[in-house]
Amino acid sequence: MADEDRQQRVAGQKTEVWERPRRRRTLNTDENVEVPEPSYAWMPRTLQWETRVKPGKAGLRIGDLNVGIYGEIPDHWEEQTRMPRGAYPLAGIPPLGFALKDKRDMWADNAADLYEEAIQRRWIAATDIPWDTIQPLPDDVEAAMCQLCTELSQAANVEFETIGYWLQHMSYGYHEVKLFLATNMFDAGRHHEAFRKRALSNGGGLGLESRGETNRMILESKGGWSETSLFLHLLRGTYLLTVYRHCERFANNPAEKVLFARAMQDKARHLAYGIQHLRYAVTHQQDKALIFQRLLFIGERVFTKELQDPAMLEPLAIVFGGGIEGARAGMGHVKRMMADWLNSYMSACEWIGIQRAAPLSPDLAKYLED
Amino acid sequence: MTSLKDNFNGIQEYADDQGLDLGWIDQQGEWGVKATADGAKGLTLNDTQIGSYGDPPEESDNMTGKPRGAAARPNAYRIGGYQVRTKSDIWLTNASMLYEEALQRQWSSATDIPWQAIKPLPDDIERAQCQLATFLTEVEFVAADIPGRWVASTTPDYFEPRMFLITQIMDESRHLDVFRKRALANGGGLMQRPDINVTTSGVVGSIDLSRDFTEMSSRLHISGEGAVLTIFRMGELMAYNDAEKRIYRLAAQDESRHVAFGVMHMRYLAETEPDRKEEIHEYLDEGERSLVSGSQNPAARDSAQSESLSILLGGGQKNFDEGYRKLLAIRKRQAKEYVQRIRSAGFGERFENGRANPELMEYVRS
Repeated sequence: MADEDRQQRVAGQKTEVWERPRRRRTLNTDENVEVPEPSYAWMPRTLQWETRVKPGKAGLRIGDLNVGIYGEIPDHWEEQTRMPRGAYPLAGIPPLGFALKDKRDMWADNAADLYEEAIQRRWIAATDIPWDTIQPLPDDVEAAMCQLCTELSQAANVEFETIGYWLQHMSYGYHEVKLFLATNMFDAGRHHEAFRKRALSNGGGLGLESRGETNRMILESKGGWSETSLFLHLLRGTYLLTVYRHCERFANNPAEKVLFARAMQDKARHLAYGIQHLRYAVTHQQDKALIFQRLLFIGERVFTKELQDPAMLEPLAIVFGGGIEGARAGMGHVKRMMADWLNSYMSACEWIGIQRAAPLSPDLAKYLED
Repeated sequence: MTSLKDNFNGIQEYADDQGLDLGWIDQQGEWGVKATADGAKGLTLNDTQIGSYGDPPEESDNMTGKPRGAAARPNAYRIGGYQVRTKSDIWLTNASMLYEEALQRQWSSATDIPWQAIKPLPDDIERAQCQLATFLTEVEFVAADIPGRWVASTTPDYFEPRMFLITQIMDESRHLDVFRKRALANGGGLMQRPDINVTTSGVVGSIDLSRDFTEMSSRLHISGEGAVLTIFRMGELMAYNDAEKRIYRLAAQDESRHVAFGVMHMRYLAETEPDRKEEIHEYLDEGERSLVSGSQNPAARDSAQSESLSILLGGGQKNFDEGYRKLLAIRKRQAKEYVQRIRSAGFGERFENGRANPELMEYVRS
């Protein structure tokens, strides 16, 4: 739209006569009430007035609000209460004690956009998955799919538990990140639900719980949100995204295809935040890349050890191979999947700015040999 | 009846040839489960409550994060450290239904609010609307931070209430977002942040400090969100365009789910743990004091919020008195709705035995 048109439209709005809308609800008021004298002390208290953010083609988005002082996002947020960024402060409000007060500890430039995208792309496991397309599968394939779904459901559970813990520690100066992580948590809850539903909908059941080495590593990463995001998003997140992608390709029915495709879309969003944040952290703290490098050295070994558990990759081999009889071919595809994951994981590390100090462990490097 | 393992015995040799361990394949929870979708509602959580999968334990010893009904590993790490492991501490009978409803009723503040319907308002009205929006921007996310903590500290064996709390976190995020948008969309801006006792932790009896889930829920869901719900329901009286009407309507829809969660949980507790009723009454005593006099309730007296509401309800500063009378009527409605909820939750005796806050009861009787 031309600026001239926009100006005319705005100008037109200003000349419209304000008309009080018709009221339908009624209240029984008491005319004898003694009305106290208002102070109106709050009326002039604003740091910036005359802000008029207009909706664009995608509606009125949270990032659009970052104009004037409302868009000033400081590197350090000293305010220890829930005061919204840009609100008029009051003295003497007791602190809450937020642990994360620095922008570099949580920020990603894409958080606001990803928040709105998550809302636009929400889906419902109950009604958006064509559950009626699921047909009985051979026992071995069903058992493998159920074991896979048990693992994925538990991983999603750890994801929302982890974010639920960290959310309360994040300062309100960076509300875009808090909002995005709420959607990440919401998505993880839906994954937990959807994979459980798949396991219980086709004559199978839940399988064996996770041994929990990687879960423990993620949950116990209390040194900082960035360190948690390193394990949650970069290490396991890239793996899960790769698993979803390959499972979508080998889906047994439209229900599984939609389920994995939706989960993939969500996970890609989580990674978009995580990777962007980790890069921000690395570029804003001198030794962060080194910290990440050292943590990943440990994390890769923990994760590699967990992958040795037959319950992790064998179900995938059976699903990809169409049964135990095809598992050899299926395991060949698992290896290609692992190579895909490692390539995307290492590319992400490089983009973030994490240099490798040591080669991949032999148990991971073997997937890249071919 | 043959077990899954029996079925696989015949091909174990073949599996050996494939280099598969398959040690996991016969370690399942209950097997042979086939949940089916229920017509238009799809495959809901209730549909999957079959056999042992629908049977949460009264006490949970799950410290490994095991999905309810999955087979346990003897060598799994005890990583949960869950504080809430007693069913009555968090349970309610309809969490699954509320969860599915929450998913169906998600909305987008970017595209579901007719922002173009907002027209310039007189300065006093705009300031009042922005003051109220600033208040709501701050307080709404309290109900996201706190449930997040409880989700993380509740055993997965009670996943239904946890799932609902996750939807609440999503709802409250949207509320923070929509009220911030409203404040910045019409020539105004954010205004004075709320005063002490609203969202702070340094006060005994605050939502933040609650050490028990029911204590927290009685403050958050029953007192806090209940009070806000009444105001949202009166949104038509303080809305000046279709955008604001829709904001209040959609926010009320969300809040009513959250309040329903709190009421149903308290009812479950009252029925299953009557010994705890006296303790819960203590929390309600605190909540009622906050309802009638604390600034946690935007309709309470002498706050920036109550003045802005009076302006909005009256139609401007010049009609402040009329607006204040309407606000008082809303406060009475808040009190009556609160009493109704507490009765429904099974704690109605406090309104018969003289325990309820006298000022609150005056509102109810008037």
